[in-house]
Amino acid sequence: MDNSAQPQTIDASTIDFARMRHERRARLRAAMHSSGLDAVVLLGPSNHNYVGIGRAFADAARVHHETVTVVFRADGAIHVWTPFPEAVNDVDVAQVHREIPLEYDEGVDALARAIREIVPGASRIGFDELTSPMLGLLPAALPGVEIVDAGIAIGPARLCKTRDEIECMRGAQRINEIAMYDVEAALRPGVRQNELSAILFRRAFELGVTWSCIDPIWNITPPARALGTRTTNGDVGFPLASNDRFIREGDLVLPDTGLVWNGYHSDFGKTWICSVDPKPSPALRDCYRRWCDVIATAYAAIKPGRSCGDIARDVAAVEAEYRLQQFYLAHGAGCDSAEPPFIGSELGPEYEDTVELVPGMTFVLEPVIWVDGVGGYRSEEVVGVTEDGYERLSTYGYTPFE
Amino acid sequence: MTIEMLTPNIGTAAMEDRDRVDYRGLRAARHERVTALMDRLGLDALMLGREANVRYASGARRLWTASSRPFGPTCVVVRATGRVHLMTFSASYEGAPEEVPFEDVFCNSFNPGKLLEALLAIPGLDRAARIGVDGFSVFMRDFLPNAVPQAQFIGVADELQALRRTKLPAELDAIRIAISIAESALYAAAREVRDGVSEKTLQAAYLDRMCTLGTSQFAQQGTFSVIAADGSIRWITGNGAVRDGDLVVLAGGALWAGYEGSLARTWSAGTPSPTHRRRHERWQRVIDALRAASRPGATGADLVAAHEATGEATPPMPIAYSVGLGHEGPIAGSSLGVQFDRNQRLEAGNVIALRTHVRGDGGGYFGEDMIYVGDDKSELLTTLGYGV
Repeated sequence: MDNSAQPQTIDASTIDFARMRHERRARLRAAMHSSGLDAVVLLGPSNHNYVGIGRAFADAARVHHETVTVVFRADGAIHVWTPFPEAVNDVDVAQVHREIPLEYDEGVDALARAIREIVPGASRIGFDELTSPMLGLLPAALPGVEIVDAGIAIGPARLCKTRDEIECMRGAQRINEIAMYDVEAALRPGVRQNELSAILFRRAFELGVTWSCIDPIWNITPPARALGTRTTNGDVGFPLASNDRFIREGDLVLPDTGLVWNGYHSDFGKTWICSVDPKPSPALRDCYRRWCDVIATAYAAIKPGRSCGDIARDVAAVEAEYRLQQFYLAHGAGCDSAEPPFIGSELGPEYEDTVELVPGMTFVLEPVIWVDGVGGYRSEEVVGVTEDGYERLSTYGYTPFE
Repeated sequence: MTIEMLTPNIGTAAMEDRDRVDYRGLRAARHERVTALMDRLGLDALMLGREANVRYASGARRLWTASSRPFGPTCVVVRATGRVHLMTFSASYEGAPEEVPFEDVFCNSFNPGKLLEALLAIPGLDRAARIGVDGFSVFMRDFLPNAVPQAQFIGVADELQALRRTKLPAELDAIRIAISIAESALYAAAREVRDGVSEKTLQAAYLDRMCTLGTSQFAQQGTFSVIAADGSIRWITGNGAVRDGDLVVLAGGALWAGYEGSLARTWSAGTPSPTHRRRHERWQRVIDALRAASRPGATGADLVAAHEATGEATPPMPIAYSVGLGHEGPIAGSSLGVQFDRNQRLEAGNVIALRTHVRGDGGGYFGEDMIYVGDDKSELLTTLGYGV
């Protein structure tokens, strides 16, 4: 193909997509074997991506109608029902079928017939989601089959990323960051939130982003909790939905965006100041310095063999309040924007102490230093656990704080 | 229901003399319909997770996220108290309508214990015997009985969809705005269709314009792809370059206040050829036939018959589907079979998308329009030209 006319895109030459699909499917087969599943039935786009089945677009209100359904048998045989056959990779063409809408009894009957045929005599099948008619019809349509959570297999399979998955995450983050340079330059008094979204999408989609999975957030954050929206936990309101709101001189803006490339999520979070001459106050700068101590402590704590609970404890020893209440010190990222592991979370240390860091885990550190009356500093850092520590997958700087 | 035939004043800014969309009235009317549905089905509560149903029942403007969210009860309606309880991701009250008081907002949690606590605190839920749901994760199927051990869960997604299909006047107003945004965005992409432009650049132009107009909530991120020589379509927008003479599918949609406006066209790079015009004429003949058949009382099967009567092959995709708070289900031509199509009956007040895909002579034409089904005639809601 002649690429001369294409816009600058991200270098994908280090990614072996066929190897990535092969290795992910092998991991899922192994996890299904361990959990005694004869098959998994997958309705969720992130799980589809994991087994190498895409969809043309992410969508808030159409995903359950333009349904993609995947049946993945314990021996690795895959059947797909999809309106987007060109998004199916490495599946026997005879096993790619037209979509069956599962919001209707007729669709659920058709799926149940197919399952009985594809996995005869199955005793245990994992489902990631049950539509309304599946809830009522499946138990009778699949007699003798125990319907369990597919997460018991696909969760462990997805927890650690292969080398190619990590490169996909690096690429997704890189595109998000390149587009953000344009956005940050446009963050000047009088710009509207929706105009920043336009700049982000223009650049990011030209660079090859496949989906945006969250409405871009340009959180205009008040310096004190009492000056913002009421919250159920008394903390500062974040993240709030964007619209045509003006961003004005002096506003503290906390962006948060998630763009997807080849099925993998980026996560961009920063703290910016909207101004003709953005300069943080000494008090805000102090928040940033404390945030730097927190992030350095977190980086140093990441070692294979230590637990998620250990990282949270190390950070808490430096800074007792390192997050907003509705957020964590870190959440995993991959085919979903938030997935295990969770660190410094409301799941609590008893749980987090049981989750050991393993090379290939990827997560987003998102500590926040907040001083009520001043405001705060937040940045998101995407990291991967390596054999001897960590590597950063995010690279964006800290203007106007550095 | 009659349709407003005056030229509508469509815009996104608020006007000082009158509301372009009566949102307050809309929320009240939707709530009344939901309550009546609960009474008809004998439901003591609804636990909703699908964004469109949550929006319909609550009127909440929440953070928009795409792709499937595992089901969680993010909106609970209790019949006995008449209260709507909303879950937010940000713990924030912003985005909740005024009729949902602050006390009825609770925060999303990955911790099942905290979710349980929040559900147990909802007045009246502990006495709900029949709870309607619109889907479940398997985890929730196993977990929710801890919160409401006395309750029976009943799938009501189809009843909610049927309810949503007949539009209130304010819903049509919001749909007109969404369509206007989608048309403007699609045309911004169409104007960039030329030799050398990449498909991704067309998609970027479309999203740029949509966001500039005030919404970054797309119904779908769109398809911008060159049609193959056999006339077939790729739904995934690629990195390849458009060449002079190529036919490019432009399909996309915007959401406004949750309501969808979607359309599709096939544009030619360079001067449209006579063959392209002929394929468009064939496409137009089918759409005209579908539109003529889209009368109150007609079924999906009648629309399939109208398509077949034109002599054009019926494409392997729904040729008619309901549109409102997003996609509201196929009406004709889905894989669910003839009986399903026979059961889909149009009513005055429906808003539907009509589409088809004609092929031949080394190319194809794919296009989609939206119409409003009135008592005595339909109104074509999409107005953008066809690229011929």
